[in-house]
Amino acid sequence: MCKSWMITAAACAAFVMAGSPSPAQTAGGRIPRMADGKPNLTGLWQAFGTADWDLEDHSAEAGPFFQLGAIGAIPPGQGVVEGGEIPYLPAALAKKKENQANRWKQDPEVKCYMPGVPRAVYLPYPFQIIQSQKDILFAYEYATTNRLINMGKPQEAATDTWMGTSNGHWEKDTLVVDVTGFNGLAWFDRAGDFASDMLHVVERYTPLDANTINYEATIEDPATFSKPWKISLLLYRNRDKNARLLEFKCVEYAEQLLYGDLVRKDSK
Amino acid sequence: MNQRIFLWMSTGAIAAMMAAGPLAGQTSVVVAKPDAKAADKSDAKAPTKTKAEAPFAAPKTPWGDPDIQGTWTSDDTWGVPFERPKNFGTRATLTEDEIKAREKAVERSAEFVENGGENHSPAKAQIDAAAKGEAPPAPPQGRYGRGVDSAPVPGHWGEFARRASHQTSQIVDPPDGRLPPLTPEAQAKLDAKNKLRRDPVPASYENWSWYDRCISRGVAGSILPVIYGNGLEIVQTPGYVAIRYEMVHDVRIIPTDGRPHLSSNIRSFMGDAVGHWEGKTLVVETTNLLGDRMAVGVNGDGGPPYSEDLKLTERFTRVSANTVNYEMTVDDPKTYTATWKVAFPITHEPGYQLFEYACHEGNMAMHNMLSTARLEDAKKTSAAPQPAK
Repeated sequence: MCKSWMITAAACAAFVMAGSPSPAQTAGGRIPRMADGKPNLTGLWQAFGTADWDLEDHSAEAGPFFQLGAIGAIPPGQGVVEGGEIPYLPAALAKKKENQANRWKQDPEVKCYMPGVPRAVYLPYPFQIIQSQKDILFAYEYATTNRLINMGKPQEAATDTWMGTSNGHWEKDTLVVDVTGFNGLAWFDRAGDFASDMLHVVERYTPLDANTINYEATIEDPATFSKPWKISLLLYRNRDKNARLLEFKCVEYAEQLLYGDLVRKDSK
Repeated sequence: MNQRIFLWMSTGAIAAMMAAGPLAGQTSVVVAKPDAKAADKSDAKAPTKTKAEAPFAAPKTPWGDPDIQGTWTSDDTWGVPFERPKNFGTRATLTEDEIKAREKAVERSAEFVENGGENHSPAKAQIDAAAKGEAPPAPPQGRYGRGVDSAPVPGHWGEFARRASHQTSQIVDPPDGRLPPLTPEAQAKLDAKNKLRRDPVPASYENWSWYDRCISRGVAGSILPVIYGNGLEIVQTPGYVAIRYEMVHDVRIIPTDGRPHLSSNIRSFMGDAVGHWEGKTLVVETTNLLGDRMAVGVNGDGGPPYSEDLKLTERFTRVSANTVNYEMTVDDPKTYTATWKVAFPITHEPGYQLFEYACHEGNMAMHNMLSTARLEDAKKTSAAPQPAK
């Protein structure tokens, strides 16, 4: 916006100082900062890669619907799990395999349910961070899901939810978000990876430059895993001109799947 | 449901305003602590912008914008009719006596919620009567007599006004506080929608409102007060204001850096909002809405489906520590023969917070209603004379 003739040089300078990371200002690589010196993560972000297909290494394979041809196929991907494999307890591994076998019906993403954390971060949709001088809003395009990171005094989860209760703090330039209070219904990916309601996620968002965030999540759930494990991947800023978070309300696209057998036959 | 609904009905408001929505679909509800005593005294008698207030130094963000951040609710306008009852004419505010009566009603409803847990829904009335061996009361007419809308709703689910609004209606323009006449086109759409909604044996999920289907309540429906879920939270950063609404977890990201609207080819339920600051007022203009679906009314379903030409202009002005005056001007010439405006305060209440409203995820009501409807179909088929073999 500093290019606009309407904005005086002084106003433009003040705006840059305040840290609004518009693409024109962030191309140089400097991490935008808030007035208090903390990194300003405000912007439109998205993960590359295929973590939402499978957090672990996976080969390409056919999708379930031949009608979709190559569009419906599963792309290959290198895993984002440190150490390669998720350390499931035996019973949990069996459950994961069962999930995977039934994924086209059981995956909460198929049903347009909230994605939980960390899945929301690496879904193949962008998300918008709005960082105030207090709390930080994460708004995800998928299903209009959102969560507020409480940056004040940590709050205990009032109830179990899909997206959990997020308490954040800064460790130098890293935003650390501690998430608890999950309902145990979300999956981690389309391959059936999952956790129970004892899930505890600690996320670390570290800006590497103006347009890249290093994302790490430590995942802990003694009912599902033999030890805590970690994923790491990069988040990229969408710098396209006038890039905006759009609306993807997917409920409509899941209704026939969910309720179709209860619709009067002659009406659909 | 609770008694406030009935109090409020007596004000002559349209029944559609009470749509309770997908009650069984929620996993968490707002339990707004009735903390009237802790409420900001300076706001106690000033629910409308007409009251002169001591000069208020509006807080600013570190980057110099007016700071309207925090959790707000339209609860204080709960009980104020959407359209003004005709007997008030062009009188926009209550008389002293009328205010006293509304204060009493507000007190009663707060007490009711505080002592919560009691059910006052039509279905509960039937169950109670049956338990006592009494004749069941006449079932309510219209859509409230069936399905999720007649389900018992415990009192503690309810939100309530903490202060008596002085307004005679939520609509403040035209001067009679009533909706302008509909265009013939809009009336036809309204009739078609009502026919769909009131089908006693619905064929499909498409018979229900976008809210019942947990898709959206739209921009207006997300703030017009209903029985619960009136909360919203505002978060600001340089160049943006974001508003998240509890119900159906809708969220709007509003750029305030002067950028244009999205291409008109991109349409959505919440539309494309762009904003700017006029002094201490945030002005938000929303276009690019999907036409022929939702209404500018309660829960996004009260009224005729609006056209894709709808333009909403909202104004948020912080007038005290705990009050933001809210206005919304509705401009849709294909639907309404004139523009119209609602205005009411939204307030910050101690102890009030937003919870995750996983509406679709828990929408068992849709399953239940549709399976009941198919059972009705099956009964009809089996009762019909069988063709000769």
